[in-house]
Amino acid sequence: MAGIGFALRKLVRQDDLIGIIQGYGHSALVATGPWLLTVISLGSISFFTAGIATTDDLIAFRLIVIYNFAFSLVLTGPVMMIATRYLADMIFLKKVDGAVGMFLGALALSYGTQLVIVAPFYLAFVEIDLGLRFLAIFNYLIITGIWLVSVFLTALKDYASITRAFGVGMLVAALAAVMLSYDWGTAGLLVGFTLGLAIILFWLIARVFIEYPYTVKDPFGFVSYFRRYWELALVGLMQGAAIWVDKWIMWFSPEREVLPTGFISYPFYDTASFMAYLTVVPAIAGFVVSVETGFFEKYLRFYRDIQRHATLGQIIDNQRALVAAVLRGLRNLVILQGSITFVVIALAPRLFQATGVPIAEIAMFRICVLGSFFHVLASCLAVILAYFDLRRAMLSVYGVLFTTNGVFTVASIGLGFPYYGYGFFLSALITFGFSVILVAHYLGQLLFLTFVRNNTSVE
Amino acid sequence: MTSTVATDPADICLVLEGTYPYVAGGVSTWTHDLLLTHPDLRFHLVSLLPTREDREPRYVVPSNVIGMDHIYIQEIPVGNRGLPGSPQLFETLERALMQVQSPLGGHAELVAIMKALRPQRDALGRRLLLNSEAAWDMLVRMYEARFSTSSFLDYFWSWRALVGGLYSVMLPSLPSAKVYHTASTGYAGLFAARARIETGRPALVTEHGIYTNERRIEVAMANWLFEGPSEGLHVDITRRNLKDMWTDTFASYSRACYAASERIITLYEGNQQFQLDDGAAPGKLAIIPNGIAVDRYAPLRRSGAAPRDGGRPPHIALIGRVVPIKDVKTFIRACAMIRDQIADIKASVVGPTDEDSDYFAECRQLVARMGLESVITFTGPVRLDQFLGQVDVQVLTSISEGMPLVVLEAGAAGIPSVVTDVGACREMILGRRSEAPALGPAGAVTPLSSPRATADACLALLADRDWYLSCSAAMRQRVRRYYNKTDQDRAYRALYDEYMALPDMAPPTVENASAQAAE
Repeated sequence: MAGIGFALRKLVRQDDLIGIIQGYGHSALVATGPWLLTVISLGSISFFTAGIATTDDLIAFRLIVIYNFAFSLVLTGPVMMIATRYLADMIFLKKVDGAVGMFLGALALSYGTQLVIVAPFYLAFVEIDLGLRFLAIFNYLIITGIWLVSVFLTALKDYASITRAFGVGMLVAALAAVMLSYDWGTAGLLVGFTLGLAIILFWLIARVFIEYPYTVKDPFGFVSYFRRYWELALVGLMQGAAIWVDKWIMWFSPEREVLPTGFISYPFYDTASFMAYLTVVPAIAGFVVSVETGFFEKYLRFYRDIQRHATLGQIIDNQRALVAAVLRGLRNLVILQGSITFVVIALAPRLFQATGVPIAEIAMFRICVLGSFFHVLASCLAVILAYFDLRRAMLSVYGVLFTTNGVFTVASIGLGFPYYGYGFFLSALITFGFSVILVAHYLGQLLFLTFVRNNTSVE
Repeated sequence: MTSTVATDPADICLVLEGTYPYVAGGVSTWTHDLLLTHPDLRFHLVSLLPTREDREPRYVVPSNVIGMDHIYIQEIPVGNRGLPGSPQLFETLERALMQVQSPLGGHAELVAIMKALRPQRDALGRRLLLNSEAAWDMLVRMYEARFSTSSFLDYFWSWRALVGGLYSVMLPSLPSAKVYHTASTGYAGLFAARARIETGRPALVTEHGIYTNERRIEVAMANWLFEGPSEGLHVDITRRNLKDMWTDTFASYSRACYAASERIITLYEGNQQFQLDDGAAPGKLAIIPNGIAVDRYAPLRRSGAAPRDGGRPPHIALIGRVVPIKDVKTFIRACAMIRDQIADIKASVVGPTDEDSDYFAECRQLVARMGLESVITFTGPVRLDQFLGQVDVQVLTSISEGMPLVVLEAGAAGIPSVVTDVGACREMILGRRSEAPALGPAGAVTPLSSPRATADACLALLADRDWYLSCSAAMRQRVRRYYNKTDQDRAYRALYDEYMALPDMAPPTVENASAQAAE
């Protein structure tokens, strides 16, 4: 019959609905991995050196590492988020031959843009030995490299090897730093520590090259994603900045220290807050485990059953199971981390006595521990939002955290020493409340989001 | 909106779905010819297309077409996010759409939907009508009400396609015209029905193929649309339900179009039963067959000429493109059977061979395998008026046809045909039921893919001189009497004149519609 009518097939497009699963599978590890490394590195350094960090060597070393971790995480954050998404899309499309190229492109982009800031800082702004200047820059580049290679961690799937890389690297970092410090002071500490980090970096790069044995191709293809997923780039920036903004502000409190080298810091607050972060490591680990074991299975079933032509009744059942898994995970997290936080707060004086941390920091430490508790909960909820590709919601969580953390910390300086740390605590508490409301809201209308609002096939 | 006409209205607004001037084919040929035949009438074309793509017109649109609108199905303006009174709007829409997606929908629902959408038409768009939470809640309720055992994903996309398609013809502004004439039901029919109700100007529909039938076949074959895991009976129920939703919706559109149209025209009798089944009022039905320029074809063969009269071998021809739908292979097999009886038989396949090169290759292999190289010729495209003079019997083995003009063109030259029982073929060869006086058969009608029946019918014509001559004469007469192009032209002209002159009308009286009348 003549050309009347339309091909029904053209009217019915069913792709893309499931795409976000591949896009965000295992994002818990990606989101929390760098944080974990920062917390463990800085927390341990603070913890082990807090009582004895009186030598200039240790002070200089500590500051270089803090500065490097802080600024590399914030500045690399946007590239990390974009690269993570780009890699996820490549894996989804089964076109991973651009993976190595993307890694090198991201590395080149990050180094290129960040050296413009970092090199003048170490070469001109601070007053340290020439060798130390280059060592500090090198250390910075290694840390940035680790952030970028961590984008591949979940794609590698070989968690044992990753854990080994980090374990061996951190051990070497600790031992070599201590051993080399006897003869070479700050330089020795930094060389040793950097050596350990370099082992992690090159171990992981080797794993990436084994997994993706391709030639370099289209290294800057991911750059177009900055425009398409600008929310993610901002999330990357805010995530890091929100963690650090209170420390930076405290560096300008009346009690801060300006060293002859030019470094500014407030060691009391830094130490209190890094040690406090150390207490939430169990929560981060517990969250990753609970996502992998409970949540993710329900999450997959929710999307797969839709794709497998389930009825609405079945889909709603799956939605309920998914919400229940989130609630269960959150409850377990609150119980686990809540008890740890409680014990740490209660035992703080003994902890401080045992390690020789000045007892004056105890109040600041306790409030930071409580703040970290809510911070980690809010971050976990933000990861849940990431699983549903709710980029704006995620951005708003980190936006609230960054803004309130900044504003309240400024206010706490105005209120004086007894209130130091309360700004961070209040900010984390509010952000936690905000993320609970967001997650509840979005999980409640998950079906509408999945089919309409977030469905890229819907026009 | 009132029916006052701001600018000069067109005489006829032709509503065309997925065809002229972008797609070549029977309906487009008919449309182009209609435009050329009435150069003094001013036409406005509304072309409904599936997507906004770059399309090359396949015809030079004549200058009596004064305007042309494009409507892209599924393409709906963005519109406002919210509107005052939208809860009531959705309530009305839900009630009407529930009916439209059931076997009961039709004109009343169309009126209700139009009435609900009209006051805020400029502010309405996909944001509110398709992508809002209110629209989502409506979709879910409609699913729960009738399809709760079906795949929700499939329902979701089906709903969007069907409801989105409906809105896309409900929202655009209407060109003003004295008569709205649609070349099909479906979305085009819906548009014409809307124009009829909104402007008070009469609507006509000419159905070439039966739209609901074509959609029914398409939906029935669309297994990809409802692919689910095989879970036994349950899934079968699922599939039936959603496919029903598609066919029910298109049937509702047809009913609405039939109810709003003053005349329901088709090309041949065989279609009318389908139209009646879809709710067409018997009093509105009319047949206007396609006609041909009889005088151009009649002299091509001497009347009273029979095979072998000119001393040349008997010659049969299949006139059509070499594509699977023409089932050329059945023709080839029939030729082998005829050759067993008539050794010097000649056969031609007349038409383009480049449309489906795989199929053409298969046909040639079949010819070679049956040893018919010296019997069958693939001529490619030829000028029919130069070719028909050498043909004794025309054969048509198609598995689907509308109203193939070649049967008439050959018939005008006195060539009997052997045709499969598709489209208008039966009534062209054997005469309509209402034919009086009966002119008698002009060849034979055979079942689909039946080489034996085709061969036997050809052999009967070629071997029996009296039978051949009676068929030849019957066909000449039938074509001249019923399939004359001038009759077709006159019939449409009479309809146009009658309905153009009609004063503005109230909407057709169907329940719910009366409230409109005063506006």
